[in-house]
Amino acid sequence: MSTAIPPGGQRTLQKRRQAQSIKEKQLKQTPTSTRAAGYGGSSANILKIFTDEADGLSVDPLVVMFLAVAFIFSVIALHVVVKVTGKVF
Amino acid sequence: MAGFRLIDVAKPFLPILPEVESPLERVPFDEKMVYTIFTALIYLFAEFPLTGISKDFQTATVNDPIYFLRGVFAASPKTLLEFGIFPIISSALLLQLLAGLKIIKVNFKIQKDRELFQTLTKLFAVSQYFILTNIFIFSGYYGANLSILQIALLNFQLCGAGLFITLLTEVVDKGFGFASGIMILNTAAVATNFIADTFGVSQIKIDAAGHTEAQGSLMNLIQSFRNKDTTILGGIIASFTRDYLPNFTTTVVVVLFAAIVCYLQSVRLELPVRSTRTRGVNNVYPIRLLNIGALALLFSYIVLFYVHIFSFILIQIVANNNQESIICKILGHYDNVNNLLAVPTFPLSLLTPPRSFFGGMVSQPLTFVVYTSFVVFTSICFASQWQNISGSSARDLAAEFKDQGITLTGRREQNIAKELDKIVPVASNTGAAMLALLAVTGELLGLKGKAAGIVIGIAGGFSLLELITLDYQQSGGQSALSSVLGAPNAGM
Amino acid sequence: MANEKTDNQIEKLMDVPLEFVKDGNQFLTKCKKPDWKEYSKIVRAVGIGFLAVGVIGYAIKLIHIPIRYVIV
Repeated sequence: MSTAIPPGGQRTLQKRRQAQSIKEKQLKQTPTSTRAAGYGGSSANILKIFTDEADGLSVDPLVVMFLAVAFIFSVIALHVVVKVTGKVF
Repeated sequence: MAGFRLIDVAKPFLPILPEVESPLERVPFDEKMVYTIFTALIYLFAEFPLTGISKDFQTATVNDPIYFLRGVFAASPKTLLEFGIFPIISSALLLQLLAGLKIIKVNFKIQKDRELFQTLTKLFAVSQYFILTNIFIFSGYYGANLSILQIALLNFQLCGAGLFITLLTEVVDKGFGFASGIMILNTAAVATNFIADTFGVSQIKIDAAGHTEAQGSLMNLIQSFRNKDTTILGGIIASFTRDYLPNFTTTVVVVLFAAIVCYLQSVRLELPVRSTRTRGVNNVYPIRLLNIGALALLFSYIVLFYVHIFSFILIQIVANNNQESIICKILGHYDNVNNLLAVPTFPLSLLTPPRSFFGGMVSQPLTFVVYTSFVVFTSICFASQWQNISGSSARDLAAEFKDQGITLTGRREQNIAKELDKIVPVASNTGAAMLALLAVTGELLGLKGKAAGIVIGIAGGFSLLELITLDYQQSGGQSALSSVLGAPNAGM
Repeated sequence: MANEKTDNQIEKLMDVPLEFVKDGNQFLTKCKKPDWKEYSKIVRAVGIGFLAVGVIGYAIKLIHIPIRYVIV
């Protein structure tokens, strides 16, 4: 029994460090946001939603922009139709 | 995967929701610039009057209940941008907050989960456009007794616009543009409104006699010097005090606020750091006062928006704005002002900024206390949560320090996280509180959303400018469009 | 007893904002404020960017005026 290790010293420090790193790992296991997981996304002062490509109905960005403009013009066309027919349907 | 998870709701919608393709390789700086500018321009171009509204809407009894929130969410009444970018911002912020607080279970480590979460955000945004549209339709905001065809048309226009705005922000977010789509749109809209309010040249009819005045306050001031109808002095006074169009006082206050935000942006705590790899390399690491930027204030305004929409549903749709009904006795009712704004009465007025400072002082002094504390409180609550979950908390910063091989001078490496934890939350809370106070001060002066708009616009613009500058430097400074940015400086 | 307890709680509740303001103040005094040179540089950069974006945006809005005139 006389060989009991005195408290403190290197060993305790090591243990503490281990405990801390385990704790950190656990926290890392369940990241709170896309950025915390390391994949970009919203940061502290930037709100960013779309970072990953989900498998949806894939469209090209240029197509989106053209369609958006086309949509606005369709609304203008509706205005013209309403004006020409002189009534709201 | 046991149990029900909210993100699984998005699963059946995956194949039908449009998804912008990610770029195959890094998009060059100039191309990003073009995409960003065009996205903003398309958004601004969409500010187009709705068709299919009853022609008698001038005499409509239901007016705009969210007039003072429009400046913040880049919305304009009775146009395709009726709700601006509110649905997108709110769904992004709220869902991220819920996921961060582990109320919605998402494992961001798994690609599939991230995709589902993202789709859920999109789904929530688009459905909010749909719900808000129909709330407004059934409240009679677009006129009473709409035909089915009119309802369908309005739905087509507003939901279509909502879907396209969502997709446009996605284009920017995916890496074709800079940083974040919503913030680009917001900043662009705030900047445009500011220019229109100050230098706008379009002449707007102000009375039945056919007199016109310039929309811009500065233009109006200049015009007042050669106006024949009134004396010069009267014209000048009028241009400072008119309340039907932007007046010059508002412009001055807005510019002043922009200057204050710029100042606050550059207030920072510089922590001395040294390299752990090479001796004698000392540097400073800045922790900014506004390290969460304008997001906290945006959150407060989202909460305000929801409060006002829910009361609008209760008062207008359920109780039909009838002062005799119980709901109106509890919540207050809407008074119509200028045949344009629906101004709530007590007690809902407590959460509505007054339309002018002195008028508010006399008629609703309690608002000053309640509104201020509400906005500041929600801002601080949000800030303290957000800095923790957004991936730039003390813990994340400490990890970043470790990666970069730097440590705080005079601190043990193990203690960095603890040390930073004493600084970062305080910084974001204080910053959020100060921005909220600033915005509220402006609102109480009667700026009707312009103050909060400019605060969010400038603070957001600042965050963007920083990232764009970084991008510019990473691209090696080879850009034909560099002059657009002004002088990029590394100091920021 | 119970009264004392609630009193204590209220006192604690009152302490929260005070503590908050104190912390904030402490942080602010430690902060580095921008000097005039830095500040003017920032204002110029932000101002130019903001005005440029605004002017381009307003140009788009000017296109609206004739369209609206024709169709509405």
